[in-house]
Amino acid sequence: MSRRGRWRHAFLLGVITLYSLFPIYFITVQSLKTPEEDVFGSPLWVAEPTFENYTELFERGEAQVRGYAILPKVPFVVWLANSAVVLAASVALTLACAVPAAYAIGRLRPTGWRWWRRGLFATYVVPQTILFIPMYQVVLALGLDDSPAALVVIYSAMALPFCIWLLSAYYGNLPREIEESALIEGATRLTAFRRIMFPMSRNALVASGLFTLGTVGQDYMLASIFLLDRYKQTVAAGLGVMDVSLEELVAVAGVNMAAIPVVILCALFARGYVRGLTAAMVEGA
Amino acid sequence: MSSYQPEAAIRSSGVAVSGVRRSRAVQVARRRDAWVAYALMAPALAIVAVVMAYPVAWEVWTSFTAFSVRDEGRAFVGVANYRAMLADTRFWYALVVTIVYFAVTTGMKLALGLGMALLLVRPSRLRGLVFLAVFLPWAYPGGVTVVAWYWMLNPPLITSYSLLAGNIKHAVDGVLGAGAWAFISVALFNVWRGGSFTAVFLLAGLNAIPTELFDYAALETRNGWQRLRHVTLPLLRPFMALAIFLSFTTAFADLANVWMLTGGRIIFPVIGTYAYWLGIRNGQFAEAAAWSLSLVPLLAVALLVLFRWFDRRAEQPA
Repeated sequence: MSRRGRWRHAFLLGVITLYSLFPIYFITVQSLKTPEEDVFGSPLWVAEPTFENYTELFERGEAQVRGYAILPKVPFVVWLANSAVVLAASVALTLACAVPAAYAIGRLRPTGWRWWRRGLFATYVVPQTILFIPMYQVVLALGLDDSPAALVVIYSAMALPFCIWLLSAYYGNLPREIEESALIEGATRLTAFRRIMFPMSRNALVASGLFTLGTVGQDYMLASIFLLDRYKQTVAAGLGVMDVSLEELVAVAGVNMAAIPVVILCALFARGYVRGLTAAMVEGA
Repeated sequence: MSSYQPEAAIRSSGVAVSGVRRSRAVQVARRRDAWVAYALMAPALAIVAVVMAYPVAWEVWTSFTAFSVRDEGRAFVGVANYRAMLADTRFWYALVVTIVYFAVTTGMKLALGLGMALLLVRPSRLRGLVFLAVFLPWAYPGGVTVVAWYWMLNPPLITSYSLLAGNIKHAVDGVLGAGAWAFISVALFNVWRGGSFTAVFLLAGLNAIPTELFDYAALETRNGWQRLRHVTLPLLRPFMALAIFLSFTTAFADLANVWMLTGGRIIFPVIGTYAYWLGIRNGQFAEAAAWSLSLVPLLAVALLVLFRWFDRRAEQPA
């Protein structure tokens, strides 16, 4: 690459970094402002940062007075814990169901295997709009009313088609010799899978897990519909009930607090995510 | 259909196979494999069926009845709801807006995603950090971030930039009609987040293309644009198809989130939010079901195209 080309490349990399980070920077700057600075300061930076909006999330008690309004305190720590549980359970349930199904579709290839995974993928076509009304009936029938378990099942159902698609492509593309050599050695199918194929598919599993995480993170609607008890809500459901005009900066602080663990997870696994997608779609190894 | 030969399983059991015995053994093994396969698929299918089967059936059935808060009898009315919908000018307006919204946001996501992926695929010392930055918009929990984003672009109180935001809002609304800025701000969020997803997806696709192909292409083509058009884009097609389809499904979710968050005050003129409005605000469940199902034919066509693009590649021998 020529020298000019290299500078241009570095410049463009800078541009896409700014573009990607600016919205997050912008909301974070606002959330660090005092009420005075929110009105009179500059929108682009903060002169006297305060963590007031953040600490407010963790204060105990039931209500507080701000100005003339009485604002209820929020059980933010409970929400964070609930979100973590829902997230972990969704990822676990999705992977636990996706891996055997993907192995079956990709390796055992029952009649019409291609249509099984296509059929699963086709569920993404169903418009979610008013689907929550009959879904509520299902949730009631299962006895999961006002329980995070309802969300776990629904999120898994939303993430499963993609994860099965991805993992079955991965297992299907693996060279057959890998499995056969183990079978010739006398290993059972299960051992061959557990010892060889499953560890090999690590990156594809990471990709599926992160996709599930993205699915869970994207939802606000279902969480707000299915979780009504303040102490059973996730961060998304909880922040949604805040008063827009009085507490928007507190809510932004809540978004950032909830994002920190997710961002750390993603930073740890981002490389594996790309490798997993690549491996699943093409070479299979 | 199935090209799988479970010979390995037979060899492993130590059976000397030849002639007739072999073919019967293969048959038995294949039948057993099929049962194992169904058993392994059962948990996943059960979850998807529990969550989707009854609700979808309910929605389709409801769209053929007169079910609403005023009429809980659920009398069967045939296609009356659909006929009323097709005669409604609001429907055609919403359909056009929906299609334009999907097309514009998806096009922007693809363009941005492709650009970012092409920049990231070139080796550079900064690549790791820039990659994380590009990954971040998607990683940030979208369901709540869209709220923060929405409030930032439509500030509710007098903040330091309310005047500026107000001016933009009035300028945009003046040209495109009331509520246009609110709509555009959500669309921008969707592009920001979806572009990041597409970039990572296409980067994975670019990584999958053998480098020799690019070296060869560099000899055969005159410039970068030609290479992009004749080599890179065709090879990326299955990845783009998948990214486009997933973009469709998220494009609406963001609007729905904001709609719910603002308590239904803002009506975006797209099919989905009208359906919400009919169903939740007006209690016309049957009409709402018909409206929301109206997009299924379009999405189904998109899905079939995706399957063609995606599976043809998968069928090639590795």
